[in-house]
Amino acid sequence: MIDLPIPDEKVLARRQEIANALLRIVPDGVVADRATLTAYDSDALNGYRQIPLVCVLPRNAQQVSAVLSFAARENIRIVPRGAGTSLSGGALPLADGILLSLTRMNNILDIDYENRCVVVQPGVTNAGVTRAVEARGFYYAPDPSSQIACTIGGNVAENSGGIHCLKYGLTTHNLMGVELVLINGERVRIGGKHAGDCGLDILGVIAGSEGLLGVVTEATLRILPRAPVTRTFLIAFADTESAARAVGEIIADGIVPAALEFMDRRCVDAVEAFCAPGYPPGAEAILIIELDGMEVEAEDVCRRVSAIAARNHAISSRECASAEERTRVWSGRKAAFAAMGRLQPDMLCMDGTIPRRALPFVLGEIAAMSERYGLGCCNVFHAGDGNLHPLIVFDVMKDDELERAEAFGAEILKLCVKVGGVLTGEHGVGVEKKALMGEMFSPTDLGQQERLKCAFDARGLLNPGKVFPILHACVEQGHMHVRNGRIPFANLPRM
Amino acid sequence: MQKLSPRDETEIADIVRAAADGASFEIVSGGSKRNMGRATEAGTLLDVSALSGIVAYEPDELVLTVRAATTLTEVTALLASRNQMLGFAPADWGPLLGAEQGSATMAGIVGSNSSGARRVKAGAVRDHLIGARFVNGAGEIIKAGGRVVKNVTGFDIAKLMAGAFGTLGVLTELTFRVVPAPQAAPVVALRDCTPESGLQALRDAASLPLEATGLAYLPSSISGPQFPNGVALIRVEGSHDAVADKTARLMKAFVAHDPIMLAEDTGAALFREIDNGGVFRGTGSDLWRLCVPTSASAEALSASGATNWYADWAGGLLWLELPATESVAAHLRAITAKHGGHAMLMRAAVQSRKTLAVFEPEPPARAGLTRSIKAAFDPKHVLNPGRMYEDL
Ligand SMILES: Cc1cc2nc3c(=O)[nH]c(=O)nc-3n(C[C@H](O)[C@H](O)[C@H](O)COP(=O)(O)OP(=O)(O)OC[C@H]3O[C@@H](n4cnc5c(N)ncnc54)[C@H](O)[C@@H]3O)c2cc1C
Repeated sequence: MIDLPIPDEKVLARRQEIANALLRIVPDGVVADRATLTAYDSDALNGYRQIPLVCVLPRNAQQVSAVLSFAARENIRIVPRGAGTSLSGGALPLADGILLSLTRMNNILDIDYENRCVVVQPGVTNAGVTRAVEARGFYYAPDPSSQIACTIGGNVAENSGGIHCLKYGLTTHNLMGVELVLINGERVRIGGKHAGDCGLDILGVIAGSEGLLGVVTEATLRILPRAPVTRTFLIAFADTESAARAVGEIIADGIVPAALEFMDRRCVDAVEAFCAPGYPPGAEAILIIELDGMEVEAEDVCRRVSAIAARNHAISSRECASAEERTRVWSGRKAAFAAMGRLQPDMLCMDGTIPRRALPFVLGEIAAMSERYGLGCCNVFHAGDGNLHPLIVFDVMKDDELERAEAFGAEILKLCVKVGGVLTGEHGVGVEKKALMGEMFSPTDLGQQERLKCAFDARGLLNPGKVFPILHACVEQGHMHVRNGRIPFANLPRM
Repeated sequence: MQKLSPRDETEIADIVRAAADGASFEIVSGGSKRNMGRATEAGTLLDVSALSGIVAYEPDELVLTVRAATTLTEVTALLASRNQMLGFAPADWGPLLGAEQGSATMAGIVGSNSSGARRVKAGAVRDHLIGARFVNGAGEIIKAGGRVVKNVTGFDIAKLMAGAFGTLGVLTELTFRVVPAPQAAPVVALRDCTPESGLQALRDAASLPLEATGLAYLPSSISGPQFPNGVALIRVEGSHDAVADKTARLMKAFVAHDPIMLAEDTGAALFREIDNGGVFRGTGSDLWRLCVPTSASAEALSASGATNWYADWAGGLLWLELPATESVAAHLRAITAKHGGHAMLMRAAVQSRKTLAVFEPEPPARAGLTRSIKAAFDPKHVLNPGRMYEDL
């Protein structure tokens, strides 16, 4: 099990009193009965569960501020939560902690086409931002595949990406400002509608801070005019090396595709059996490439991509001729997770990033590990930026398969670090990978990060037990655990 | 002032760790920006210029790691040899600040956040800095970030180093993502526009899906004989075919503003001057950089009272020639209070940079955060003390 801070008995004993105090702050937004609290006992890393002490759902920043200053005064831990789609346990509650749900703060406060930005409350969903501006031809670029559910607050906290972040950047590159409530209840504005290059880049560390530094109560997001043309290619290769080489050549040629996704044969087979998107038979690897821009620009890039495909012995290369075909091609990619989930009752989803040049090597190593551990694994990932999502399938009920799967997963992440990559590209450390942080950072490096945490929250009341290894490692893996096909948020596409 | 010239990161760490109580270091790598920021007097000059050279350049990965004091000139030439560049168009402010051209180092560019015109599309320095090594104020060597773009492992401390003016750590090694140089980057000049209509045209251009990488306005006071009425400049990038299409669209969309296509080198030279504050190079006058939301730029500009000025970042950045006085500072900060944004004293004599708030003063809660962050990195205030704020 993971180490979480030991619950404070004295706080546990004050549950009712604390709920009452919170009721005075948010009269219509406190959940204290155990049955209802169960709904909040995990995020999408649902192998870990914990019922929170109490849950409070503020409607505005004043209430957030009052809740935090109450918690600080009374020395009570706080766990912020958006939609609970975190894959790393970032929103896992604490037994003695207040769960602060931001989902009722879901208003779009300002749409400013002149400055090309929107100002939203943290509980607005990612897709909700684009929905609000698309009639005028604009959109919000970061697009995690959980986008119909996940919130902007969660996106900021996890610095979420999506298939289009290769070209358009992660949350941090599209975030212009926030209002942050500090643990003592103070409200701080950082950045805004202007270019924010004055003073320390506090915004830069807020993005990706996993709820450890402050609570985001407002975000200013950049919106972009939608490219008039989008063209989608499906290219198949007889071996993974050729596919990996093609990826490298596309990037090295100066092409920045809107999306560049990779699926290996195991994944293609599983998806074909699941929803028959019509991927070419006999392929060891396929690439789905999306190119966007002005018409002439896209045409030019398409030519270059086709040439690269041919040069690397693609066994087939076709452009989607219609919107339906494009949807079908993408549906296979989006169903990969669910399709793999049918092969075995359990599945782990990893999230390391590696330098692109290491792709063939790492894929080969993963295949060898798969043999060695006797467990199936498929690869489906954001190839353009080297962000891997190996899916390991197994059955918890069979002898030591869980242990083997976890060891397999940890070995993949360690390999990612060894070839010059990192433990997590977009899912965050949370509770899931904190024990592996030592693979990437020395105790001194981690000490510096912890002191930054202390600068915001000296007593460690905000989301403690996440990101940093508390004790020495007793879990050795980073994964998303899926039990008996009960995939968390099974209705969402997985990218 | 005593001067120390460590040869490597370990020596820097030893020096900082051994610093006595009350010691303080002024960190210099190329020295081109010693006249930027608050004027301070440190006990020791820490010259880190020996930490120079390319550590690793992987063109296929679009990643470059350099020692901190590597010059911009060296980096630019290396990247150009592989048809690549730094996406944020690093500015060389050396000549503007009385130093030699080409003496700017990557650590200085990171520390002072010297992003150029491409920022409107590509983001600032911090968006391209994916990893850093530095020595903190306790003399510890810290690694932050990594060598891949997509990385959420731990806090993004590398970003904090951008714009920190060396107050949080002595940078020793920097990793940037780099971008392919475009085949072509033509500039369309709108020759008939007032500051108001020119700034409006830049905003309109920013809302077209052309991914403009330069959106600047030069008023008649500085635009030179080629543009007697001032000029709005719009740069687009891509393959030859793509930019032919994009510029044709711009010519059509802004036909009312008397547009022309500039010769490629003319456009490039203009934007280099815009990046570097070139028009103010020889003047020696005091300079401010005022950042406001683009929609407020025309109003902010006329309120500022400046006659010599220009606008970059679609109007989000105004370079203003205005004296470094209390009253100007107060006046500009009334403008930022009204619209949001900040005013920074970019160039002034030592005395003014001692007495005036060079950086936008922070409201109490934010100032408190800034101070606790400083304490987390440099608890004894030995690194560039006072360079950003008097007590920091
Ligand atoms: C099916 C599926 C697909 C996914 N696909 C992607 C993908 O493509 N790319 C990707 O990057 N991620 C993906 N994710 C992961 C997840 O959706 C993102 O991390 C998302 O940003 C989490 O948002 P949330 O609102 O659900 O936050 P939560 O899960 O509720 O919380 C996440 C973290 O944010 C903190 N937090 C939440 N709100 C705030 C706030 N207002 N202030 C401060 N801290 C806060 C929490 O404490 C926690 O640490 C996927 C998840 C699922 C289940």
